[in-house]
Amino acid sequence: MANKLTLLVLLAVVAITLGVALGSVYLPLQDILSIVAHKLWGGNLPPHIRPTAVSILWTLRLPRTFLAFTAGAALSVSGVVMQSVLRNPLASSYTLGVSSGASLGACIVILYGMTRPLLGNLTLPLVGFLGGLATILLTMGMASRLDRQMENHTIILVGMVFSLFVNAMTTMLSALSGEQLQRLYYWQMGSFAMKDWSTVATLAAVLLLGGLIVLRYHRELDMMTFGEEQARSMGVDLQKVKWILLITGAALTGSTVAFCGVIGFVDLVAPHIVRRLFGASHRWVVPLSGIFGGAFMVICDLAARTLTSPHELPVGAVTAFLGAPFFAWIYFRRRTFS
Amino acid sequence: MLQVQQIKAGYQGRDVLHNISFTLHSGECLAVIGPNGCGKTTLLKVIAQLLPYRGTVELQGVELKQLKPKAVAKEIAMLSQIPSIYFSYSVEETVMMGRYLHMANTFWAMPTPKDKAVVQRCLEAVGLWEVRDQEISHLSGGQLQRVFLARTLAQEPRIILLDEPTNHLDLKYQVEMLVYLQAWVQEGSRAIIGVWHDINLALRLSHTMLVLKEGHTQAYGAVDDILSGDLLNRTYDIDVAGFMQESLRYWQERK
Repeated sequence: MANKLTLLVLLAVVAITLGVALGSVYLPLQDILSIVAHKLWGGNLPPHIRPTAVSILWTLRLPRTFLAFTAGAALSVSGVVMQSVLRNPLASSYTLGVSSGASLGACIVILYGMTRPLLGNLTLPLVGFLGGLATILLTMGMASRLDRQMENHTIILVGMVFSLFVNAMTTMLSALSGEQLQRLYYWQMGSFAMKDWSTVATLAAVLLLGGLIVLRYHRELDMMTFGEEQARSMGVDLQKVKWILLITGAALTGSTVAFCGVIGFVDLVAPHIVRRLFGASHRWVVPLSGIFGGAFMVICDLAARTLTSPHELPVGAVTAFLGAPFFAWIYFRRRTFS
Repeated sequence: MLQVQQIKAGYQGRDVLHNISFTLHSGECLAVIGPNGCGKTTLLKVIAQLLPYRGTVELQGVELKQLKPKAVAKEIAMLSQIPSIYFSYSVEETVMMGRYLHMANTFWAMPTPKDKAVVQRCLEAVGLWEVRDQEISHLSGGQLQRVFLARTLAQEPRIILLDEPTNHLDLKYQVEMLVYLQAWVQEGSRAIIGVWHDINLALRLSHTMLVLKEGHTQAYGAVDDILSGDLLNRTYDIDVAGFMQESLRYWQERK
């Protein structure tokens, strides 16, 4: 266990280091450390480091890499919640319509330039988050009206209905968007480019708060994987815990989608690999999925911006390219098993 | 100990149980029998507060509807039929989940020495202590059944509800489970309600019997008072006694 844990943390450190060092301009590790020390604690820079290198590292690479890591971690923790609460290894925020809701909210802001003076740059992520939250509230509200016991299959089916409906609205808006179509298209595919430290700090705060809430309920998550009746007969206050966890998962995904666009599959892949390596106990699955998902996203982002340089691929396309075969593998492996 | 009065319950607006009433005393084992679909499992779910119902379920005079899930689970534990395993925990981790309601409600609470001792005792009781580190997805149906029995025991409830608990067990473990449960119910203020398909096993463990048919009480009382060939024939719509006599004759001839 300790060896695997060390290896995972090492993977994350290596991924972040590579993400910061590689790109159109290569930055050696020693220079990276000198610039970070200079920015954090003052002092003189070695003479061979040019101001452009400082600018590239501090305003472009570091925020981008940390945002990729934070987004990957937030999506993965959300994936853990959705899979365990709904007892479905293929469940995700996308199944419940959260991503679609966030996408619609952000789409409206982009198309109609709804930036408010008070909120400024926060308008887009906030509206996106509220869109995601509204969708999950509608999904849960409708599911509870249809089925007092809120069975998982009811939630998933209602979520899929809302997801399809909201996606249709986004598609119609996009089709009518004219010159904004390309911007909207790239945003929907996901990107960490041109984001500043304030974006990283905001998403990190959401991740910290959401992650702690999910971790608080790690034992309940363990019991819920055996089914609702089993969890309730062991004393879990299912109605309350389910709401808290699903809304927290929605907040994690909604915020990420709003800041960085729709990035799929990481929330599916990371929890599966972590469960395979470290066992199913959520005491470990929640934090380690965050670390693994963050590292995975940094590597995908690195691939997105370096493989076809100087052209950049949307990171959502890279995660989907790697994640779709993985999804198929899980699905068909389960079918073979059953 | 437990008073069940005029219970009506069902699914999607259709009642499966119709005015079921009985009383369970300390030290008593009640067997619930009846054909498929007669409402046996539904009755257990009502008692465990897993299903909405009309009527009353009172434990020592307190209506269970008023209690929070943890408080109910402290009093009543249910051994359901084996659930699907989506994510694989170790045997010990699975049984430790039964200690959830006894653990401190803090952020990172770890099992106490008492929790660990209870889990060890329960795993030893079902003969699985040696495989405590194995993943449950690698176990046989019978071993899984015993894991979930150990988890039910780890809750340290006063009443255990058993839903066809010997389904996946071979003869040896069926007998061992019955012997263990007979001893368990004698310790302190405890009781068992068991749903059985095998009437012989039901008779081995139980003092009283509730016979259900189509959600109605067909008979209720001490086993010796109510059980008759005629009652079973009416309940199952076959000649139960005749079938058993035929089986017995077969074994006598084989001897």
